[in-house]
Amino acid sequence: MSVSEAMKRLIPPGSYVLFLLFLTGIWVAISPFVMTTQPAGQHWLPATVNNVVVGAIFMVVALSGIVGYMLFALRDLLREAQARREATELASQAPADF
Amino acid sequence: MQSTRFTVSKYVCGMVASLIILLAGGWLILAPFALGYQPYGADWVDQTINDFATGIPVAVVALISFFLFLASALGSLRAAGLLVSRPQAQVSGIASSRVPVTPEPGVQQSDLDRTLSTLAAALAADLAARRQASSNQQANQSIEHLTQRRDM
Repeated sequence: MSVSEAMKRLIPPGSYVLFLLFLTGIWVAISPFVMTTQPAGQHWLPATVNNVVVGAIFMVVALSGIVGYMLFALRDLLREAQARREATELASQAPADF
Repeated sequence: MQSTRFTVSKYVCGMVASLIILLAGGWLILAPFALGYQPYGADWVDQTINDFATGIPVAVVALISFFLFLASALGSLRAAGLLVSRPQAQVSGIASSRVPVTPEPGVQQSDLDRTLSTLAAALAADLAARRQASSNQQANQSIEHLTQRRDM
């Protein structure tokens, strides 16, 4: 299996979309400060608190989805590689027994 | 030997993340009215416009992401043989229906198939070797039996 094929299995199209949502989460979290709807030096407004919390949820969940998929896919790849290696060893031992 | 198992955990992980973000995007749309920082009857404040302009695309993109992970999961289930694809409606006429559509063997064969075929070949060789050995042993025993009879 080539590196590009392995990367394709580790990062599916859905993960790219999740990464886009991760970037959106960053924007949602910082937007009250960028758009100056949150006055400087004052307590956070309910809108600011909401945006920061929801943006953090976006970031954490999107990143968890990407990393979780990658870990599970890596586990599957390792299992397949191990099974392939054992099958090759078995195939090479069978003629010797004969 | 550790067997190769098919797992859907990775797809479930992506789908759950997409669903949570979809719900959070929905909340982002509702939040200006639910939290009351958008006055009723007044023009939308900047924060409301921003939340709407962000929440709607987020919900749409999260839905797309969910279906992408779902499609990947279904594709894997089909490749593993756990799901059988529905036969397509034959609308292209009799001539085309007579020609069987066979996928290219190199394209459809996955790594798992290659591994299994290698394993099957190894097991077949081992079985043939054992059969040969047992038949040789039986032949030797019968020859020995005949020799003993002649001696008597």
